[in-house]
Amino acid sequence: MYSIAEILIGVIQGLAIILLSPLITGIMQKTKARTQKRIGATILQPYYDIIKLIKKDEVVSDQSSWIFKVCPWINFVALATAAFFIPLFLTYSPFGLAGDLLLVVGLFALARFFTMLAGLDVASSFGGLGSSREMMFSALLEPALFLTIFIVALTYGGTNLSTIVAAVAGATLLPHPQLIFAAIAMFIIVLGETGRLPFDNPATHLELTMVHEAMVLEYSGKSLALIEWSQAIKLMILLALVVNIFAPWGISSSITVATLGIGFISLVAKISLLAVIIAYLESTIAKWRLFRIPDLITIAIASSMIGMVLYYL
Amino acid sequence: MESIQLDILTISGSVLLIATFGVVARRGFMDWLNAYRHQSIVLAGVTAIIGYVTGIWEIYIAAVLTLLVKSIAIPKILTYVTRRLDIEFKTETNPYISLRTSIIISALLVALSYFLTQQIPFRSDQVVNVLLPVSMAQFFIGLFVLVNRRTVLSQVVGLLIIENGLFLFTMVLTHGVSLIIEIGILVDILVGIVISSILLFRIGRTFDSLDVTNLANLRDD
Repeated sequence: MYSIAEILIGVIQGLAIILLSPLITGIMQKTKARTQKRIGATILQPYYDIIKLIKKDEVVSDQSSWIFKVCPWINFVALATAAFFIPLFLTYSPFGLAGDLLLVVGLFALARFFTMLAGLDVASSFGGLGSSREMMFSALLEPALFLTIFIVALTYGGTNLSTIVAAVAGATLLPHPQLIFAAIAMFIIVLGETGRLPFDNPATHLELTMVHEAMVLEYSGKSLALIEWSQAIKLMILLALVVNIFAPWGISSSITVATLGIGFISLVAKISLLAVIIAYLESTIAKWRLFRIPDLITIAIASSMIGMVLYYL
Repeated sequence: MESIQLDILTISGSVLLIATFGVVARRGFMDWLNAYRHQSIVLAGVTAIIGYVTGIWEIYIAAVLTLLVKSIAIPKILTYVTRRLDIEFKTETNPYISLRTSIIISALLVALSYFLTQQIPFRSDQVVNVLLPVSMAQFFIGLFVLVNRRTVLSQVVGLLIIENGLFLFTMVLTHGVSLIIEIGILVDILVGIVISSILLFRIGRTFDSLDVTNLANLRDD
């Protein structure tokens, strides 16, 4: 069994994802502003936004049902639960006993499902548009995501995140060429799951092409704050997964203050670097036509297929 | 030491596969040409790694020649010859099989080439084990690009990828044929590209299109 200190660190890891996630969003917004020759808001701006939104009153359409009201809470609870399964700066999470990578994906799907229902619930035409597009993306991203998960799980012996990250931290990347292909697929999947630029423009609120924003267009006040926050948590979880599976340098495998400190600092640095890279990439490309998106997802599927072939070599 | 060499070979083979997919996953002639240039640079690197692993110094010369001819000379010639062609000749608007299907088919072709090379029962060293399937995959993907594209211009790119695959194939199996033959093949490719590009320029002038289906029709004037 796990000791009290380990459980405490596990709780801290979960809370760190939840509390640091708006910071990552802030870093991405700042990077995008700087690449567009703007000064941009401070990287703490998402925190201010969330505090401001919580103080505001909420307007709910009288045509909406209970689904519209519970959706932000289900979103937040599902993603915050998923956050506790992710090993962040220690190679294992004590909550790994309760769930593995597939459960995390399932929680993502639950949150997404209720967001789509809420988009349809208020019966505005924007919500319906956003929901149908989101359904198309998620149906296409799912096979790519599962193939990638299977590559990682087969290589490191199990879908349990603690097993995977512990094995990754003990191994080198070199003997596993299939992980290169898995990393390519995973990067495209992260862009798609979090609605970054070739898939969906996160900065727009007034376009016919928006996807995620179209679904949550009717929200205001506390509900909007929860939705934005859970979106940030999802981004942080996926970035932490990418970093810990494909670039595990500096992660701590024992509970001493020094290694945990190094693990935490290197993790924050790596995630920030990845966020800056994604934001920079977003500045250089335009949003793709909706029916070209499957081309990009197909690249992810093909890449993970080749990874599978290389594993069974 | 041995295992590090194997790792380097495997990683370089993977990078070469990724570079090959760059040709399949794009549209437009200039994009393909750039993808082909990147692929040739990677191919030269892989050749140099083969030279390092086997310890034959002639392979280094072959790598340098590959770099010079395939990643500098051939793209320059093709860009120069096609600069006066209309832009609609250079973009592949509707290949026979859509882009996303052809990516999946290419992935299956990679699987097929790994399967096929495992069926060949001969004793081999690690270079053959790792890079032979990659070269066959390149060959198949080049063949697929060749039959899938509609315009003559893009079929030339398919031909070039096949040639890259064959180059790697000979290099892997023989650990470098004699340098004279290597130089001969490269010059052959260079001349072939010059002739075919002049030919396709004249096709474009005569038929006002580079679509191969138009070439099969009888003239009715």
